[in-house]
Amino acid sequence: MTIPALRLNRLSKSFTVDGAPVEVLSDIDLTVAPGEFITIVGASGCGKSTLLRLILGLDRDFEGTLEIDGQPVKGPGLDRSIVFQEHRLLPWLTAERNVAAALLRSGLSRADKDRTVREHLDLVGLGDFAQAYPAQLSGGMSQRVAIARALVNRPRFLLLDEPLGALDALTRLRLQDELKRIVAHEKATAILVTHDVDEAVYLGHRIVVLHPRPGRIAEVVEVPAAARADRSSPEFVTLRDHVLAQLGVQTPARGKVAA
Amino acid sequence: MSLTDTGANASVSVDKGAFRSGPAGLSLFGRRLWARLSAVLLGLSFPAALLALWWVGAARGWLPPQILPSPALVWQTFTELWADGSLAEHTAVSIRRVAVGFAAGAGLGLIFGALCGLFPGFRAYAYPPVQAIARVNVLAWMPLLALFVGIDEPLKYVVIAWSASIPVIIGTVRGIAETPERLNELGEVFGFRPQDRLRLIVLPSALPSIFTGLREGLANAWQTLVLAELFASFEGLGYLMTWGRQLFQLDLVLISMVVVSLLGLSLDTVLKWLERRAQPWNAGGRNG
Repeated sequence: MTIPALRLNRLSKSFTVDGAPVEVLSDIDLTVAPGEFITIVGASGCGKSTLLRLILGLDRDFEGTLEIDGQPVKGPGLDRSIVFQEHRLLPWLTAERNVAAALLRSGLSRADKDRTVREHLDLVGLGDFAQAYPAQLSGGMSQRVAIARALVNRPRFLLLDEPLGALDALTRLRLQDELKRIVAHEKATAILVTHDVDEAVYLGHRIVVLHPRPGRIAEVVEVPAAARADRSSPEFVTLRDHVLAQLGVQTPARGKVAA
Repeated sequence: MSLTDTGANASVSVDKGAFRSGPAGLSLFGRRLWARLSAVLLGLSFPAALLALWWVGAARGWLPPQILPSPALVWQTFTELWADGSLAEHTAVSIRRVAVGFAAGAGLGLIFGALCGLFPGFRAYAYPPVQAIARVNVLAWMPLLALFVGIDEPLKYVVIAWSASIPVIIGTVRGIAETPERLNELGEVFGFRPQDRLRLIVLPSALPSIFTGLREGLANAWQTLVLAELFASFEGLGYLMTWGRQLFQLDLVLISMVVVSLLGLSLDTVLKWLERRAQPWNAGGRNG
């Protein structure tokens, strides 16, 4: 067994609302191995995004332990990067310079920066749009630039906060394929938060099902390789229905067919 | 291999109209030109109607010529003032006062506003008095200021700078304060140093608000100029107005007003152009 890359142990987080503490995450235990693709599903308000902010190091106010390679997370670092639901590109920078902004503190030489920026724009299929400003790009293209920006530092951990949630259905399906391929290509460890159960099954090696108020782990499910490979496979459908049931959504008709 | 597929996907999304160009561009350009032209014509029609009314009113003698001189007389006075160079002289004096006052006011306003915006401690210390002072029109300070700097050129520079600086300070402070938190967070994720954050996030995001402040500041500078020249001056467009009024030469007053307003409008246009140049990412977008 390899050393766990990321370890959350009895992780809890509370916010203060109107003077009273409200627990948003409760006793989260999770160990993520290098190269693993973890998907986290749950209804809104189950603390999914908060969990990513904690791992990212943007929020240091929590209880429990949060370790990378046995070292507690003390703040943001270039070993972790994130794609948000909205692309969060800087409107005043071209696609190319947006990606390069992530490399500002990387210590790479100018030439290396230029080369790796170009490589990553090519990787997301936007090599020809290096000089375009975000306002000139469609939503799907902007999100690809954001993915390129998140990958350009070759982070060990790629955190994805509903990155495809705001896109139209077709673009989302296409980008799911791209995301899967790109993450495998970069050998990154990915943690994707989503409320799209299909997406969770299709992308994840393991699915973490969260229950809300306070956010806690209901179940961690292994995704069989067959389910991950084909959205129409019986394994995919069975697992999806199981996760939906965990989230309180019943699919009786399909359940009978599968049985 | 499949990664190249994404290139095709990208061009599909472009066809949806991400880039504005292509074969349909020409007719679109024609339509835009027409829309622009009709807006200009519409905008000119009201002044033209006023001018016509003035012409007819003066010709029919609706008002005594001492109160409302005819357009012909105003034009004649204008050509005379132009020919003997006195209009250019007064205008040059006024422009110099606005230029010096606005440059000083905008410059100091930018510095002060940036300090307040970037350092909460400094803001808490220095901003409230400025906000309080901003409530009182600078002209109310003029008698007091005159005691300190006299009533010569420095007084005009100070009041113009003062009135120009207030909107610049407010615009700069607000622009910096309203930097979106989600972009600041991004800087944190990338490990930006303060100077990186300033250059890549805070300043570009504050730019529209700063430009609004500069344009308001320039408008203030012109307004204050005229009032300051009415108050104590022997040259300048404001002085020309006072003089015209005292001599009951309303043609002089009208000419000065037109010159002041046209100059103010042109300078504002220059600033607008600068604003667009400074933010190329908006070209063809919302501000196009």
